[in-house]
Amino acid sequence: MEGRFWTLVFVIFAAAALAACAVAPAYQLWFPGSGEALSTIGARIDHLFYVILVVIAVVFVGVNVALGYVLWRGAKQPSEVKAVYSHGNQTLEVVWTVIPGVILLALALYQMDVWASFRMREFYPQDMRTIAEVTARQFEWRIRYAAPDKTLEADPHPDDVYTVNDLRVPVNRPVAISLRTEDVQHAFFVPELRIKQDALPGKRIPVWFEVTRPGTYDLVCAELCGWGHYKMKGRLVALSEEDYAAWLKQAFEDQFDDGVGEGEKSD
Amino acid sequence: MNSASMTSNRRTVSLVSLGLSLLLCGCGDAPKARFSWSKETDDLTPMANAWVKRAVLQNFGTPNELVAWERLPVEYGGFAGTVTAVETVEGGGTKLTVKRGEGTTAPASARQLLWKSGARVDEAEPDGVASIVAGETESTVLMAQRLDPVPDVGDEFVLNPGNRLLDGRRSYLKNCMHCHGVAGDGAGPTARYLNPLPRDFRRGVMKFTSTRPGERVSRDDLARTIRDGIPGTYMPSFLLMAPEEMTAVIEYVRWLSMRGEFEKRLNDELKDFSRTAIAEQGKNARLEYEAAVKNDPDAERPPTADELATRAEEDFRGMAEDLEFVFVDAGDLMAGPWERADATDNIITPSIARVADTPESREKGRVLYLSQKTKCYTCHGSTGKGDGPATEDFWAITGSSETYPERGLHDEWGHLVPPRDLTRGQYRGGRRPIDVFRRLYAGIKGTPMPAFGGTGLTDEEIWHLVNYVMAMPFEGPSTTTANPSPTVATSR
Amino acid sequence: MSAVTGMTGSVDHAAGAHAAPGFLSRYVFSRDHKVIGIQFMFTTLLMLFVGGALALGIRWQLAYPWEPMPLLGNAFADEGGQIPPETYTMLLTMHGTIMVFLVIIPILAGGFGNLLIPLQIGAEDMAFPTLNMLSYWFMWPAIVFFMLAMHAGAAAGWTAYPVLAVLPQAAPGSGVAQTYWLLGVTLVGISSLMGAVNYMTTIINMRAPGMTLFRMPLTIWAMFITAILQAFALPMLTAAGLMQISDRTLGTCFFIPAGIIVNNADPTVGGGQPLLWQHLFWFYSHPAVYIMLLPVMGMVSDMLACMCRKPVFGYKPMIHSMGAIAGLGFIVWGHHMFISGMNPMLGMAFMISTILIALPSAVKTFNWIGTMWGGRLQFNTVMLNCVAFVSMFVVGGLSGIFMAAVPVDVFFHDTYFIVAHFHYVLFGATLFGVYGALHFWFPKMFGRMMSEFWGKIHFFITFIAFNLTFFPMHLLGMQGMPRRLADPYHYSYLEHLLPLNQVMTWAAIVMGFAQIILFLNFVISSFAGRKAGRNPWNANGLEWIAPSPPPHGNFDVTPVVYRGPYEYSAPDAPDGQDYWLQSDERGGQMAERH
Repeated sequence: MEGRFWTLVFVIFAAAALAACAVAPAYQLWFPGSGEALSTIGARIDHLFYVILVVIAVVFVGVNVALGYVLWRGAKQPSEVKAVYSHGNQTLEVVWTVIPGVILLALALYQMDVWASFRMREFYPQDMRTIAEVTARQFEWRIRYAAPDKTLEADPHPDDVYTVNDLRVPVNRPVAISLRTEDVQHAFFVPELRIKQDALPGKRIPVWFEVTRPGTYDLVCAELCGWGHYKMKGRLVALSEEDYAAWLKQAFEDQFDDGVGEGEKSD
Repeated sequence: MNSASMTSNRRTVSLVSLGLSLLLCGCGDAPKARFSWSKETDDLTPMANAWVKRAVLQNFGTPNELVAWERLPVEYGGFAGTVTAVETVEGGGTKLTVKRGEGTTAPASARQLLWKSGARVDEAEPDGVASIVAGETESTVLMAQRLDPVPDVGDEFVLNPGNRLLDGRRSYLKNCMHCHGVAGDGAGPTARYLNPLPRDFRRGVMKFTSTRPGERVSRDDLARTIRDGIPGTYMPSFLLMAPEEMTAVIEYVRWLSMRGEFEKRLNDELKDFSRTAIAEQGKNARLEYEAAVKNDPDAERPPTADELATRAEEDFRGMAEDLEFVFVDAGDLMAGPWERADATDNIITPSIARVADTPESREKGRVLYLSQKTKCYTCHGSTGKGDGPATEDFWAITGSSETYPERGLHDEWGHLVPPRDLTRGQYRGGRRPIDVFRRLYAGIKGTPMPAFGGTGLTDEEIWHLVNYVMAMPFEGPSTTTANPSPTVATSR
Repeated sequence: MSAVTGMTGSVDHAAGAHAAPGFLSRYVFSRDHKVIGIQFMFTTLLMLFVGGALALGIRWQLAYPWEPMPLLGNAFADEGGQIPPETYTMLLTMHGTIMVFLVIIPILAGGFGNLLIPLQIGAEDMAFPTLNMLSYWFMWPAIVFFMLAMHAGAAAGWTAYPVLAVLPQAAPGSGVAQTYWLLGVTLVGISSLMGAVNYMTTIINMRAPGMTLFRMPLTIWAMFITAILQAFALPMLTAAGLMQISDRTLGTCFFIPAGIIVNNADPTVGGGQPLLWQHLFWFYSHPAVYIMLLPVMGMVSDMLACMCRKPVFGYKPMIHSMGAIAGLGFIVWGHHMFISGMNPMLGMAFMISTILIALPSAVKTFNWIGTMWGGRLQFNTVMLNCVAFVSMFVVGGLSGIFMAAVPVDVFFHDTYFIVAHFHYVLFGATLFGVYGALHFWFPKMFGRMMSEFWGKIHFFITFIAFNLTFFPMHLLGMQGMPRRLADPYHYSYLEHLLPLNQVMTWAAIVMGFAQIILFLNFVISSFAGRKAGRNPWNANGLEWIAPSPPPHGNFDVTPVVYRGPYEYSAPDAPDGQDYWLQSDERGGQMAERH
């Protein structure tokens, strides 16, 4: 009797875990925001996630059914019946080594493509444009753009445009940021785009992405960077090409505001 | 260092107790946050000390019970309105149609209703029961119960008075307190790790403002600092803070500054009753006696420390009647500058547009930079590295005959403040030309960076300097090598 | 073999048998492996409570951010009891540090390893009893240093990544605290290394006659492989730790690049590489994950066989898969660094090795289920904890596949998904296994049984509360909630997670208090529990022929081993019993049956 109760505990746990995952999207506990990845690479990452999820769900259900079955069987067996005397089964061992092995290897190989196009220079999109230099520091993101109609250079230029915690990019075209840090390690993380990259002291790392929908997305630091780690709240604003150009022009003018003319802007 | 290790000790003690006594004791009452008192207040004789604390508490309250002192130019918030129609509803209750005051939005819920005019003014217990039926229209409808007497048309009231200050407090305690401290004393628990130290608001002085020399900080300036942060310091950018929250926090910061300034004004007023002053007095009397006794062996003996203390207490008691006047006066003296800070004519606006950023202009700026007129180089160094000869001097403590123990410039708060390295391209007060103009025009308040505007330099000259300074990070030191016969920097 | 045994035995235990040792040498500076094992267990259980209390502090902040924290808040009375963010960072740093270095690693290798190795292989004691004693006593300076680090507020995470950890001005607690922390890690490493050397030597040289390698219980195999892992991986951490210490104190720049400006200090002169630390650290700390898991895998195999009255399913595949885990464990460290900025080509290589390491784990899981299949299951506390081990390990193992896949890890790295994953493995699997092992070998430690009733109550509450605490972390991770944020609700996209976090926190509090049941059960049973005979579980291992508790020297006579450790329910067993002690001479030398 007691054995069945405990069997149920384990079975109910597995069922509850599955159920929790099944209802999670309805309670906004699945992927952030709309649940849809809003960058091209993000969409491919989501796809890979779901592929793994399916494999894993099947294995999870299978293993738990097997576990539930052996427990239930053991629980309802009269206590005087002797256990099966078996030291194992060579064929079974081979089967359950080879089949998962093949599946796992296939999963790994299937991932390569996305990783290569996200991180490897040779596979970057041809028309990618480096749009800004993002400098992480304790505890904010300082961002530098080239003046309108100029290209960003590694060294600052007198007419560069600066913002803080506010990264703006045009949509529907591959853009790159040049990620660096002024002090400790940080990580550039935009959950809704599924993009993450550590900013490594002493290094300048290009990160490219193509946002597919205009909007405002949270920019988060994902690597412990000190006491104010949680304060590194920024935003990534994706704008249409025209809006982006207009904004950059406006930002340029604001930055070279001399306080006369149209009078003091109240920012 | 001492206080640091003390805090650590406290932490360990309670970590141990966290580990062990979690089993034994429950959670108990949470400690209540408190506003710290300034050093000067703690230095007062017991009576003066008690009086200052009472006056501050009476007008400002505690972190958990804020007091809105009407004398201060603080927008405490709340929904101000005028009754336009009154209707008694069947089954008890009153339906008030009200016109809301300018710039206020109806709150979602009602907490407290305070009558400003009409029959209920000065009633001790304002009726607090009200619900808002229709919110966001021109005229709002309030449902109120137990209104006695029923208000008349034209009566004015405030719903949820002090709302903004309360919102500000909530946000401040969450976002600002760890560094700036509960009382805005710049000594929160995290402060000891930071360089430069977080601002101590209690002098009413903020460094980066757009207001004229000597004037208080404007709300827009605070907004700008909170929104953009201060590059090169630990003041982060709160760009994404909701606008209402930022308004509330700004109001709370202003209020905290006024609280500190009020305390400081009272302390200045009662300077004679500080232990330091009494000790000084005793010392002087003793010296006088020692001088006198050489000629006249019967000279009057100097008062003992106890006698002096007793005398001070007596004097203080004698002043008691004037004290009410002292603090009302302090409040009024304080209100003026704070009120003025946001006035348009108080904001520095250059009389001419920025002079074109040409090599000629920069050259003029360079000459000015190295001139005796500005003496920029004495602090910022001839190459702009922030290593001028003044950083090697011992400087006098303001209002004292002694000098600081370490070399270098100090600010009003007594902290070492290295002159900015202008070649780094890091502008704490903002990188727009107008920001740099204002830095030069009004100086950096509370620091040795002087104000050049108005009398010292013409606006055109300031623009030349701006052009020169802003070009520094991009040009090698070549333009500044012409050595300006460095004169001996004179201490103030 | 016998020569070594004979020598140690005659010198050491002869003295012990004749002169009654004093209290100090018997219970404090004891060289008896059982006493040392129990010392390790008590110490680590104490540390478990400290680490758990720190975890509750973390949970409180996540459920009630910036609200007065019970107890710890009293240190910040002027602030109304809310803790500052650097204290939160300290809490998470020390929670990780204590749980990894002072609880899980020492309770497995130090606690159970010490207790079980000589007993299960039929030896009188460890090969080097004095070294064994030192390995325990070296843990104490480590504990002291870790407590000092906590006191000074070490706050660079348990991974201590440079530059944050190295530059004293980079963060509160990167000051002297981090040096204490590094000294603690170094000392705890020395302690582990002394243990590892001892275990390897003992297992190789001191087995009883007839105890061939493939007659060793899986626990011994696991301890053996763990010891090898420790011996070969630890030097890397120690070296890295010394390099970081010298960066901090001698002015070297192994991990500091040039031109870093922190807290307005002068730019660093540098030339070092922060990634180097990550490589060195994870070269140890990934194998360490298996150091924290393999021994439990072995013990659970032993316990499951006994509680199912059935031979372990696939004894040799179990050993091979442990070997494979250990081997692969050395070449997967890079999966902690997929997005760190290392060469992306490495990402691919590490992805393959990481995904492949799932294979032996899967094989082991299948074998455990195979062991249970058709057994005569005893649903007692030991069994329940072992089944929970398998069940939780499945969750933790499967969620690991997401992280092994580099592109998916781009999203999941440093989110709560990771936190969920490693708590399922390290708490869910390891700690449930440890609970089972505590109940199973308790009679051998104290000669008495632990209470079944309270054992089950403890298990039930812990199992439910554990899953309520940690399963939702997967969902937080799905939302992209990063780890180590003092206030996640600062971000608008995470605001709606507050209620869920509050549920998790209350579950964690319940779980924390449930451990008091275990503690009381442990302490009270040790003097008031039901008396146990030599073999209360009718198990096969050599430890069960020794008296409970075994005297110094363990066995009445040196046992001779006739068969493998898992001959349960053998049809030809004598007297129709369903077990067959390894040293039972009836039936004579038995051929390998697996």
